[in-house]
Amino acid sequence: MHGFAYDAVHDEIVVTSPLAQAVLFFKGDANGETPPVRVIQGPHTQIDGPPNLGNDRVTVDPVNDEVYVPAVPSSILVFDRKAAGDAAPKRVLTGPDTGFEAPGIRGMATVAVDAVHNVMVVNHANRLLIFNRTASGNTKPLRVIGGPNSGVGQISSFQIYAPKGWILANGQGGFIGVWSIEDNGDVPPRWKIPVQQLTGYTASGIALDPAHEEVLLSCAGQRARPRDGIANAVLTFSWPEIYK
Amino acid sequence: MRSCVIDTEFPVAYIRGCRRNVMVAKLGRYGLIAGVGVGVFILGSSAVDRLWKRVTGAPRLISVEEVPDAGDSCYRPAGEETPRLSGPNHNLFSDFGEPSAEAQAGPGTVNLDRPPARILRDTSPIYSSVAVDDKNNEVFLQDNNLWSIRVFSRLDNAKPGAPPTEARRVIAGNKTDVQFNSCVYIDPINGDVYSVENDIGDVIVTFSHDATGDVEPVRKLRVTHRAYAMAMDEANQEFFVSIQHPPQVAVYRRGASGNEKPKRLLIGEKTQLTDSHGMAIDAKRKLLFVNNWGNSADDDKPGSGRFGPPSITVYRLDANGDEAPLRIIQGPKTTLDWPGAMSVNPDTGDLYVANDMGQAIIGFRSTDRGDVAPSRMIKGAHTGLSYPVGVFVDSKNKEVWASNIGNSTATVYPLTANGDAAPLRTIRSAEEGKQSLRFGKTQALAYDSTREQILVPN
Repeated sequence: MHGFAYDAVHDEIVVTSPLAQAVLFFKGDANGETPPVRVIQGPHTQIDGPPNLGNDRVTVDPVNDEVYVPAVPSSILVFDRKAAGDAAPKRVLTGPDTGFEAPGIRGMATVAVDAVHNVMVVNHANRLLIFNRTASGNTKPLRVIGGPNSGVGQISSFQIYAPKGWILANGQGGFIGVWSIEDNGDVPPRWKIPVQQLTGYTASGIALDPAHEEVLLSCAGQRARPRDGIANAVLTFSWPEIYK
Repeated sequence: MRSCVIDTEFPVAYIRGCRRNVMVAKLGRYGLIAGVGVGVFILGSSAVDRLWKRVTGAPRLISVEEVPDAGDSCYRPAGEETPRLSGPNHNLFSDFGEPSAEAQAGPGTVNLDRPPARILRDTSPIYSSVAVDDKNNEVFLQDNNLWSIRVFSRLDNAKPGAPPTEARRVIAGNKTDVQFNSCVYIDPINGDVYSVENDIGDVIVTFSHDATGDVEPVRKLRVTHRAYAMAMDEANQEFFVSIQHPPQVAVYRRGASGNEKPKRLLIGEKTQLTDSHGMAIDAKRKLLFVNNWGNSADDDKPGSGRFGPPSITVYRLDANGDEAPLRIIQGPKTTLDWPGAMSVNPDTGDLYVANDMGQAIIGFRSTDRGDVAPSRMIKGAHTGLSYPVGVFVDSKNKEVWASNIGNSTATVYPLTANGDAAPLRTIRSAEEGKQSLRFGKTQALAYDSTREQILVPN
C-alpha cells in the first residue's frame, strides 16, 4: 500500500484496494478482520488499478467531504466522501492543460488538499502542481513549484499544514522540504531536513502531528539498502518551526 | 466572536490534548489498525491555526455543550435561511478569517540538521519464507526486514530461556539484490538458493549453496512485477513462478537467466486465478496448486474490480494458456484467510497451506474440491505460530516447517501434527516472547490524532 488516509473529523480510515479497484472506509477504531462501513466500487467509479498503478493512493478532505483518487488516464477522481457503491466521481481533473504527463500520473501522483486556502496540490513528475480545490476538467494549475533550485522530488504521500499553507514534500536527494502554497516556479524550500543524509532512510510517506509539533515519516527501503540494514522504519522529527 | 450554529453536521465540542501513545499493527498486508475513541470537530475559535491544531492534533471529546440561544448569538431560529458553507469556494475554515500563507521572499532555505526524535523499527529479522536443504540438514529463512537470507542447522532449537539462535551464515548486502523477497527455494539437486522478489526489483536471484555475506547472485532472472512464489519440477527441468497480478503462473526452463521469456504462461479468465500468492507442485501426480486471495479486475476496464472469496485452484502440471482448473477448493469451511506459501507432501499428495490471518497451518487432501474443511489444522496457543506465511514439507524427515512473521521464528512439527501441537523445535531470531512489528514494507503512514496513534500499512 502506497498511501491511505485518516479522517480525524469523521474518525474514519480510508484505504484503497488497487486490485479490486475499490476505496474502502473503516471506522477509526476498527481492529482485526472488520468489514468496511462503505465501499466505492463499480463501473461508474472510473477507478482503475494495476497494471496502470492507479488507485494506490487516496486523500481525504473531511472539511469538504471529498475523497481524491489518482486514476487513469492521467486524472484525479474526486468522490463524495459519503458515497458508497457504484458512485460516479463528482469531478474529474484531467487533460493536457493540467500538466499531468501520461502515463506518469498513474499511481505516481499524490494529492494533498488545503481546505483553508481552497487549493489542492498534486505531486507529479518532480513538481508540485497547485490547483483551485474545485478544479475540474482540463484546467491549468494556478502555480507550479519545480526545478533544480526547488529540488522538488516525488513521494508516495505528502501533506499540507493548512493554517500556514505549508506544503511538506520530498526533495531530490532525500530531504523533506517545506514550500508555501503561494510559491511559484523554481523556488527553494523554506526549511528542509536532510533525512537521508542524517538517517540513511528515504522517506516515502509523511504525516503531521500538530499537537506535538512533529512530522512523521514512513521509510521503506527503495533499492538503496539503509545503512544499518533495517529496511522498514517510521521516523519522527520535531519540527516546531512549521507550526508557529 | 461568540459561538455560532453553522450549517454543519459536526457536533460542537471542546477538546483538549490527551495521553500520547503509539500503536502499530497490520493494515492489510495492506490491512489496518486502530484503537478506541470518538472523532470530533470543533468550532468557537477565531484563530484558524489553533482551530486546525485542535482538529488534526490531539482531539478527545471532553464535553458537548449547547450553544446559547439568546443575546447577540448568531443562532438562527428554525425555518430561517441558514448560510451554507459548502459552495465550491467556501468551507468552514475560510469563513474564519484571511488565509495566512505567503510566497517565499526570504534569503533561502533554512537547513535543519536535527536527528529524529524517535525511530520506530524492528531490529530483528521478519521471516516471510522457509525452505529445507535435507542433504545438508540446513534451514533457509527469508527475512523481509533486514533484507537477508539466514541459514541455520535443521536441528537448531531455541529452548525457553535460551538466547536467540545463531545463523550459520547470512546472505545480505547491496550486492545480493535481496530486498522485499517473499520466497526462498533450495534446488534439491545442486543446492542452489533461489530468492523471489515481490515488489521493487522484479527479479529472481540465485546463489550458490554456500554463499555468504554480501555476494553477487550467480544468476538473475527478470520476472513480471509482483512475483510471489516458486517451485521446481525436476523431472521436466522447469520452474514455476506465481505472479499476484495480473494473476498468472510463468514456467521457465531450469537455469533461465537475464531477460529470458517463460516457456509457457497460465493466464486468463478461465484459469480463475485472482490475486495469486502461494503455489506448489506435485510432480508425482502431475498437479499444480495455486492459492488466490479473490481480488480481481479486468485491467482494461476501469470500475470492473470485484472482491471474491479466497480459493485454491488445481491444474494439470503442464497447464498452458487460458486453461480452466481441474477443481477448486473454496468456501467458508476451508478457513482460507490470506493463504501464503504452500507445500506438497510427495508421498501422500497432501497439501499444506500457511494460513496467515487464520493463524494456522492447514492441510487438504490431494483430491479435495469445493467447500471442504481442512483435513488437518495446526493452530493454538502451544503451536508458537504467529501470522505464518511460509510453509515447507520436509518429506525425508517427516516434518513440516512454518515461518512466522509475527514473532521472528520458524517452527517445525511432525507431518502428522494436528490441533494445538507444540513445535518439535524452534528457530528464534529475537528475544523470547517478542511480538514483531510485522513490518513488511512501510511505504505509507497516517497519524490518528484522535487516539494519538501511528497507522502503518504493510
